[in-house]
Amino acid sequence: MRVLVIFAHPVESSFQAALHLKVVETLIRAGHKVDDLDLYAEDFDPLLSSEERSNYHNLEADRSAVRPYIDRLTAAEALVLIYPVWNYGFPAILKGFFDRVFLPGVSFEMQDGKVSPSLQNISKLVAVTTYGGTWWRAFLAGDPPRKLIMRFLRAITRPGQGCLYLAHYDMNRSTTRSRETFLDQVAKEMEQF
Amino acid sequence: MRALVVFCHPCEESYNAAIGSAVLHALERAGHDVQYVDLYKEEFDPVMGAHERRLYHEPGKNEDPIRDQVAQILWSEMLVFVYPTWWYGLPAMLKGWLDRVWVPHVTFEMPDENQPMRSKMQHIKKIAVVTTCGATWWLSKLVGEPGKKTIIRGIRLLCAKNCRTMYLALYKMDTCSSQQRQQYLEKVERKLAKF
Repeated sequence: MRVLVIFAHPVESSFQAALHLKVVETLIRAGHKVDDLDLYAEDFDPLLSSEERSNYHNLEADRSAVRPYIDRLTAAEALVLIYPVWNYGFPAILKGFFDRVFLPGVSFEMQDGKVSPSLQNISKLVAVTTYGGTWWRAFLAGDPPRKLIMRFLRAITRPGQGCLYLAHYDMNRSTTRSRETFLDQVAKEMEQF
Repeated sequence: MRALVVFCHPCEESYNAAIGSAVLHALERAGHDVQYVDLYKEEFDPVMGAHERRLYHEPGKNEDPIRDQVAQILWSEMLVFVYPTWWYGLPAMLKGWLDRVWVPHVTFEMPDENQPMRSKMQHIKKIAVVTTCGATWWLSKLVGEPGKKTIIRGIRLLCAKNCRTMYLALYKMDTCSSQQRQQYLEKVERKLAKF
């Protein structure tokens, strides 16, 4: 499969970076074609500008600023998102990817105010994530990032081959062992992708 | 009350800007002491960089890049967020403001073996969200309103125990009539004046 991996953590020595490396390596070894999009390394600008907002619904507008990202997204058959949960949500750099790249005509069609999904090229969806707080605390807050993946993103793609949410909670009190177990779990899922 | 309004929309002529004015007007008329932050206008950088992330858990040092913003949240007793809901969530700009400003040791203490995370923003007693959604009410509920939950539940967990919240949203933003938009503005002004 052609897998677009979207990674959103700034620190090269982080556990997130280890997860990213593990995902990419394992997918390649399993014979997949990986497009590795490291938002920080590519210096992705997450801000929808005033001009972009004004032209948001104009399908004829110049989209050259985000065209390469649109092409990578529409070429993918599977999507793997790797990110830490910060303040009960995606890091800004990842949220901005949705704001700027998931445009009308790209991720949805809009006709007479009715929206229909159009990222039908994506048939598998995986999130690999870490939470500072406990599962319980995330649950109390309604776990917004889980909902964004499992409900919104799932609804606008066509993940007939599966939708998977892999999370390590309570990172603030994690141990070497809990982190290794999680890395192994992620590797296993990538092998069977 | 000391109220901090955090406004987030890139376009000056937007409907959200009109909401921002209505909010400001209502709060001032009600006698609150208001600070108004326009994140796009101030060119706030929402991206937490590698250096900042490495210092994220260091007391004191983690405040250095965002001292002014930390002073604002320590000053405020009420938070009012005005933003468009994009993809059921907060615009990246506003999400980045939370990521970078709501740092540990200022807004909460990290958990350890003996105790869970402790909130430190006990001086914040009210949180209001005023937003617009392209989606319908029904679809927003179905997705689970991640943007609303990030603030009304997530951020609230760091504030006073009895912190009051208010959530106002105008749905079907792209297709509603100008009359509905006008009515919403009036509602926002009325509700905020009483909040």
